[in-house]
Amino acid sequence: MGSWALIAPEITLLATALLVMFSDAVLRGRRRAGAWLGAVGALTAAGLALWAGQGEVTPFGAMLAVDGAAQAARIATGLLTAVFLVWLAGKGLGVGRVRHAATLVLLSSLGSMLVASANDWVVLFLALETATMPLYVLVGFDRDSERGLEGAMKYFILSMVTSVTMLYGLSFVLGLSGTTAYAGARVGGGAMGLFAVALVAVGLLAKLSAAPFHWWAPDAYAGSPASSMAFVSTVPKIAGVVALVRVADVLAPQVPGMRVILLAAAVASVLLGNVAAFPQRDVRRLMAYSGVAHVGYVLLALGSGSGLGPGAAAFYVLAYAVPSMGVMLVAADEGTDLETLAGLVRRRPWMASALAVFLLSLVGVPPLVGFFGKLYVFQAALDAGLAWLAVVGVLMSVVSAGFYLRVLQAAFFSQRASAVPEDLERTHAADVAIGICVAATLLLGVAAAPLLTMPGVALR
Amino acid sequence: MLLTVIVFLPLAGLVAIALLPRDSRGAKWLAASVMGVDLALVAWVAAHFDVARGMQFAIDVPWVSQAHIRYHMAVDGISLTMLGLSALLGLLAVIASWKQEDRPKAYFAMLLLLQVGMNGVFVALDFVLFYVFWELVLVPMFFLIGLWGGPKREYAAIKFFLYTLLGSVFMLVGILALYLHPAGGTFDMLALAKAGASGALPFGFQWWVFLAFFLGFAVKVPVWPLHTWLPDAHVEAPTAASVLLAGVLLKMGAYGFIRVSLPMLPDAARAWAPFIGVLAVISIVYGAAVAFAQTDLKKLVAYSSVSHMGFVMLGIAAGTVEGLDGAVAVMFSHGIVTGMLFLLVGMVYERTHTRAIADLSGLVVAAPLTGGLLAFASFASLGLPGLSGFVGEFLSLLGGWRSALLPKWITIGAASGVLLAAAYMLWMVLRVVLGKPSAATEGMSDASPRELAVLAPLIALTFAVGLYWDSILRFVDPAVKAISVVVTGAA
Repeated sequence: MGSWALIAPEITLLATALLVMFSDAVLRGRRRAGAWLGAVGALTAAGLALWAGQGEVTPFGAMLAVDGAAQAARIATGLLTAVFLVWLAGKGLGVGRVRHAATLVLLSSLGSMLVASANDWVVLFLALETATMPLYVLVGFDRDSERGLEGAMKYFILSMVTSVTMLYGLSFVLGLSGTTAYAGARVGGGAMGLFAVALVAVGLLAKLSAAPFHWWAPDAYAGSPASSMAFVSTVPKIAGVVALVRVADVLAPQVPGMRVILLAAAVASVLLGNVAAFPQRDVRRLMAYSGVAHVGYVLLALGSGSGLGPGAAAFYVLAYAVPSMGVMLVAADEGTDLETLAGLVRRRPWMASALAVFLLSLVGVPPLVGFFGKLYVFQAALDAGLAWLAVVGVLMSVVSAGFYLRVLQAAFFSQRASAVPEDLERTHAADVAIGICVAATLLLGVAAAPLLTMPGVALR
Repeated sequence: MLLTVIVFLPLAGLVAIALLPRDSRGAKWLAASVMGVDLALVAWVAAHFDVARGMQFAIDVPWVSQAHIRYHMAVDGISLTMLGLSALLGLLAVIASWKQEDRPKAYFAMLLLLQVGMNGVFVALDFVLFYVFWELVLVPMFFLIGLWGGPKREYAAIKFFLYTLLGSVFMLVGILALYLHPAGGTFDMLALAKAGASGALPFGFQWWVFLAFFLGFAVKVPVWPLHTWLPDAHVEAPTAASVLLAGVLLKMGAYGFIRVSLPMLPDAARAWAPFIGVLAVISIVYGAAVAFAQTDLKKLVAYSSVSHMGFVMLGIAAGTVEGLDGAVAVMFSHGIVTGMLFLLVGMVYERTHTRAIADLSGLVVAAPLTGGLLAFASFASLGLPGLSGFVGEFLSLLGGWRSALLPKWITIGAASGVLLAAAYMLWMVLRVVLGKPSAATEGMSDASPRELAVLAPLIALTFAVGLYWDSILRFVDPAVKAISVVVTGAA
């Protein structure tokens, strides 16, 4: 298969994004047709990724690696992007700018797919920026919201600073190895190597909003529309984790300190994310901290050094992304603070049930996908002999149950029935998108298990 | 295959209920017929069960093959006893809720989901599958308490969920530790029991894993001092949920000790036995003493559960054949007798709108059937010979006395619990059942035919087990012998 055929999904996304952006003349008056078009494009891209990613190939002079991990991440990215765009087609985002939002989402998705298969430091950096740039705009999508703009600004600045830090680290990596290819990376075990790896790790950890690079997240999440956070906080992380898996695969054997960095960030994220989420009354802030915590579990698996770690990490990020997107989509409709969610079960019982499925999955209740994610992560930690880390992890998952249950308490048990937001529009497209998230949360636990043994993921 | 149907038929019922129109009144009929078929299937399994053989009706196929998780179910005598209890109480809980008017569709759907978890726990033989069912139970019970419970229902529901989750995540660590240990290396519970019996697992490792499982199981039983979720949950839960909580959910913890801790970690079980014995005695005496002080009828029954489950733990700590026979017999008997008590308390509360012992008096005069049955259930609960409660308590005390693992004073202390139970139960009967009718009980209606129909099978079983011990022991005893021999080294 030729190099160009292998990146057919990315080409499709780019073409779709441009089509949606400049389709004003054709789609005039039908604002949401753009999102539908985008959804079809993303779905096609996912299908092409399925078709293109058979076996381990390295197109474009090994600048990309299209292996099992990349294939899985590209399929997941494409599908989740399509689900989000279906929702967007039903609901819109802000006033009259659905097409712009769809374009940004498609471009970010394109960047994410490249991140997942990056096999070269320069490609990794460029792809990361492509994936992240549109997100700043999505975070600040509500132009009239000061908090939204503040959040977008914080995100932009932190992201830029960490990107540049990462670039600085990459310059050492390139200097030490003499090539930009992953395969030729030779950083050595010395102080210089550790310094370079630490800086690179900062960049990747910040993109995943792991502690201590998470502080932008709560403000950004709470300031921006829950609907855009449904995409920003979930889909790009899938590819980010796969990229981190691959980078760790290359660098950790040379620089043992990398595992320590990952584990330190893991512990900090799990502790801080879960504890800080506890007092939150705004679902977006709560999900921001919970996102930090969940990335902590990913890092726990990865930093454990167990052979089971990479597969567990890749599985876990999917187990995080699907229900989190679901929670944000429900919150986008039904209100983002606990007061407006009160009595949800009375006004929209099905939506409340969907919310219960998502939140219980995030707690890790079997047989939902979140349980299997935690199972594999703890398995990796125990396999590496890190029993105390596994215990910290399970204890914190009980803490997380405390705050997720508070949301359920508001939605189900509260006697006060808050009024339905007046401008709420009910569309089948949005219900279908949320329904897909529910089905995936229920079934992925078993269906996504091949990720665990996918070549390139569990490869050590 | 039959077990799969038994476990997942309620799930099919749940789906069917979800598809009913919003204001449909058919949910209870659907739930009752599903539970009825389930019970009939369990009865069929019991009739075709060969007590001389171990695990039967097995199904063992790959489930998540990448992670070596299998779909493995089978029943032995202990499982079957518990499965029967679960299926029977499940059906009775539905009939007892016949007048449920508040969101009946969701209510019966939750009862059905609960049934999936309860049935599944007792037949699962793959550890991950076991854990799935174990945790699945939390979700419907959380909603049953939180949506249909008493005034403090939100607090009780969340406390219940978090407490039991806290225990069971440690159990998950234990499961993974066994899986990752070179001598374990599998999620298959039968293979792990074999590994445990062969002595392949080192003692230090066993000790820590035992601790992890202990936390999971002891919260569920509950063993003092991990019992504090129980009074809140029992008192706030609607009647049917209280019945299932006391009747089946508590048994899951004890079942875990018998199915997991003893056979897989026998060396640690021996080392832990005196400690568990002490906790059992404290549970027995403490539960009884606190039951004495209760002014709320439902709370009294709730604390009596702590006391009775102490006898189960005593039998488990003993590890002898008599002890384990007694433990399972108490589990079964407590399930039906406490089920009866909660049903009767619910009936009284429905009519008088109070559960305060001080307000209730002369029940037998005001409502002879209800009062008489409450007295009967109380006698069964305190262990009157000839009724089911006596069988298990007698055997577990005998087992405790004969066990080489427990000092004698533990059994002597536990025996005092029998006296205490007689005292608090009879005192309750004296105040509530006898005497002149109070303002609350005056003119209350007596038990309806539907309510009597719910109680009748429980009454019959109380007599059957109490008079003909072999009715339950013929199933339990052979299975228990296989476990006891591993723990005590002597048949």
